[in-house]
Amino acid sequence: MNKTFISFILFVGGLLVFHYGIFPIFMPKEPTLFLNRYVCFLLMAAYLIIVNLTLRLKPPISLNALMVWCLGFYFYKFVLFPPVPWTLFITYMMLWSIGTFLYISQDAETFREFRKPIVKVIVGEYKLARLVIFALLPFLVGFGTYTAIYPKFEEPVELRTVHPAPPATTKVHGKSYVLETARNPFRIDEQDNYQDKFPFLDADKYPYMKNVTEGGTVFFQNCHYCHGDQLNGLGMFSHVFNPTPANFIDPGTIAMLRESFLFWRVSKGGPGLPNESTPWSSAMPPWEEHLNTEEIWKVILFEYWYTGWHPRTFDTEESYVGQWEKEGKPAGAH
Amino acid sequence: MLGNDTRKNGLFSLGLVLAFALYFLPGLSSDAYAKEAYAGQAFAEEAFAKEVMAEEAVEGEAEPEIEWGQDVFYKDWEGNPLKGPVSGPPAPDLGEGDYNNYEFAPSRIIIWIANQQHLYFGSFVLAVPIFCMLIEFIGIRTKESDPIMSEKYDRLAYDLMKVSLTAYSWTAILGGILLFTFITLFPGFFKYMAGIFRPVMHVYALMFLAESGVLYVYYYGWDKMKNDPFLKWVHCSLSVLLNLIGTVLMYLANSWATFMQAPGGIDEQGRFLGNIWHSIHSTLWNPVGVHRILGNIVFGGGIVGAYAAYHYLTAKTEEERAHYDWVCYVAMFIAIFGLIPLPFAGYWLMKEVYAFRQQMGITLMGGIMAWLFIIQAVMIGLLFFGANSYLHNSMSRVKGSHRYMKYCKYMVLLLIVAFTTWMTPHTIVMTPAELKAMGGAQHPIVGHFGVMSAKNTAVNMMITCTILCFLLYQRANKKINVPWATVGNCWIAAIFVGASINIIFLGVYGYFLPANQRVGLSVPQVSSTLTTLFAGTAINISMFKDSESYGDIQWGTQSKVGTYAIFLLAISFTWLMGLMGYIRSAVRLFWHVTEVVRDNSVDAYTLTIGEAGKILTFNTLFVWVQFVVVFWVASLAAKKTTEKAPAAVPVPAQQQQ
Repeated sequence: MNKTFISFILFVGGLLVFHYGIFPIFMPKEPTLFLNRYVCFLLMAAYLIIVNLTLRLKPPISLNALMVWCLGFYFYKFVLFPPVPWTLFITYMMLWSIGTFLYISQDAETFREFRKPIVKVIVGEYKLARLVIFALLPFLVGFGTYTAIYPKFEEPVELRTVHPAPPATTKVHGKSYVLETARNPFRIDEQDNYQDKFPFLDADKYPYMKNVTEGGTVFFQNCHYCHGDQLNGLGMFSHVFNPTPANFIDPGTIAMLRESFLFWRVSKGGPGLPNESTPWSSAMPPWEEHLNTEEIWKVILFEYWYTGWHPRTFDTEESYVGQWEKEGKPAGAH
Repeated sequence: MLGNDTRKNGLFSLGLVLAFALYFLPGLSSDAYAKEAYAGQAFAEEAFAKEVMAEEAVEGEAEPEIEWGQDVFYKDWEGNPLKGPVSGPPAPDLGEGDYNNYEFAPSRIIIWIANQQHLYFGSFVLAVPIFCMLIEFIGIRTKESDPIMSEKYDRLAYDLMKVSLTAYSWTAILGGILLFTFITLFPGFFKYMAGIFRPVMHVYALMFLAESGVLYVYYYGWDKMKNDPFLKWVHCSLSVLLNLIGTVLMYLANSWATFMQAPGGIDEQGRFLGNIWHSIHSTLWNPVGVHRILGNIVFGGGIVGAYAAYHYLTAKTEEERAHYDWVCYVAMFIAIFGLIPLPFAGYWLMKEVYAFRQQMGITLMGGIMAWLFIIQAVMIGLLFFGANSYLHNSMSRVKGSHRYMKYCKYMVLLLIVAFTTWMTPHTIVMTPAELKAMGGAQHPIVGHFGVMSAKNTAVNMMITCTILCFLLYQRANKKINVPWATVGNCWIAAIFVGASINIIFLGVYGYFLPANQRVGLSVPQVSSTLTTLFAGTAINISMFKDSESYGDIQWGTQSKVGTYAIFLLAISFTWLMGLMGYIRSAVRLFWHVTEVVRDNSVDAYTLTIGEAGKILTFNTLFVWVQFVVVFWVASLAAKKTTEKAPAAVPVPAQQQQ
């Protein structure tokens, strides 16, 4: 039998066996280091390589390309979990397709070999294949058109700016704050010194922990319903909001921002967002109407202390804790 | 005929490495101290001026009535705003009467197109002399060892200069159009800019004159200075002078744009404080300059490559195919060498933008311009794919390359993995249903790729992979014979493995550090990558000594895919240049000069991504139409020469032997 055909059958058969037979075994309720979906995928790839090498099948480059492309598709569609949004899926598959093309076109010889079966189909050397493919093509186009124009009732996606540029100044409770220079007046010490201390228990011993405790109290009285009791954006109400509340554990949120940015966002809430961030699609209230300035700064202090992130600073203000010690008072508000 | 590539490649690589080191390293190292140094200098100037005025006051000759203003950017040693004597009127509050417009298009779009077209051509005519300088130098150096190849290099440099000459006039015309557009459509703003930059504008005009003079002597003196060795060196030196003047020209013009984006040398009211150097040398001047030099080289390489690729595909004779294949190689070689350090210059520029105004940095990377940056990421990926595809295809036609071709697929895999990381956005576009299925706004696995630690790691790995591919290409047809071959190979392997481990380790480590310290990790990451470039290339070239050749590179056998990759590169460069130029300029939002001169025209809005994309595409198509015309015009002269000197010229009887 034709070796290429054997290789193809082993590929399709292997894929089916792994998908329907072995894959469920690798998906226990509690995945372990070795018993998880990614290990299963690696085993599947290893199976394909080993079976082709041991049987010396030497599949042509076109079949290799097909296998490589399908493996990528399978990984992004069925293995990667939770499933990625379609925009990301399209992006990843586009990249994988480009990679496959680079693989087949790395030299003139491989590209010629890759084209050979396609050319043979087109010119009619593979008559049956031509008949099947050319007969299926209109149906494929028709199906694509049908799915494209079939009405969908999903909410449309939008390109929303998550971290809009802050204004130069913001006015809270009658005071104007320059965001470039405003600093948290309660950041009186290096937060790393208090990582093993506890709110409430150590509040009386350390002024810093007292502020953290007060900030935490404010957080659990007002914020945790949406931002979650682990600050991961998964509060009890979070699932009814779009966009979902910010996840402070994520390294791409508060870890990237200055405290003054947070001060502005907390104070002004959703309605205070600039137009680019669609202020009408954020449910966060302007907290300046419910909290005083000190409470806002303290809750920010708590968020950083709890997550372990440090607020974004730039070279010139790197040592501002030390600077305060020298000056004896925090700067910023005027 | 085209053999003996060992020495030429070595010289070529060495020349390029030195040229980049000359431009790039001093720029990087000097700027770290530049602001402090200039602040210090300015502080001394201020102290001196005060001293003189105090003396004058004591003498009673003149009552000092000079008003002092505080600089918006420069600071003295104590961190207070630098003071300077107010030497100009405040920035105008522009009104309806300060803007003119045509019916058919908004003024902003017209000036954008005029500016972009001038910049494209300016970039090309500044890049070509750099090529010519290098190619002519290599031609001179190889004259004794390989006169045929030397002649070929010389002819290529001359041909490029010929095209550049036509493009030069075109650039000047486009510059004139830009100037008139600026004056007629934005008279109020132009008046303010001219008030500050008046002396710079005159110097710019004079430098343009000098550039023209040197260019004409360089081009028209080519044949006359060709045969005498001393005169040839003088001629080559002229190209250095030409490049120096060109660089000064570009830096002067850059100062207007960088002043508009991040002003210096003026007070909050926009009043000039008497020191023009402060206005020129504002915070973004150096990074923009270095970024543009590298960008020009890449862009110029792309255009010359596309020109050669077109001729390669349409060539009718084997000799012609071989020639244009070789030109493609030279152009791509230069372009890829420029492409490798380009992202680092971009990072430097962005770092300075963030340092100038956090607000501006966030607008670019996380705010309203963030989606354009994602498009930029796609384009950069395409560039690296195109460059690697060209290298793979070029390598495959070299005898002896079979030893390395088997590694290509792994390099492609590495590129794709790195690019997947590079392309994963922090904020994913998704439907509410998908958001719920994912369990939150961030994906638990790929969500980690959305931050700078992952991006820096990915781009450094992509560049390192391209460098490795390039080194393999260099040695594809060589059998290394130096006694220390094993040691050399081990060193190269150690450098690449060590650099990769360092890059990945620092990338992962970055997740555990505060943001301000994390930013600092990009320096050792970049250093690792540059080490592979410089040390890897140096060791690789050193190993070519006494090497045997498996066979000459078979010019004229480049695959079509490799040739089309050059077109992809050229078009991507053009579009990307337009995109980044637009982003850099549009980040000022509703300001002509950031926080000083407000844009009060009806065009003071930010375009939607689609509209911006349309203009960018139009600019790309329009400039390529012009390039085609310019190349056609240049080819007319070539045809004329060919017709004048047919292959078989009848020899007069008295001269026959």
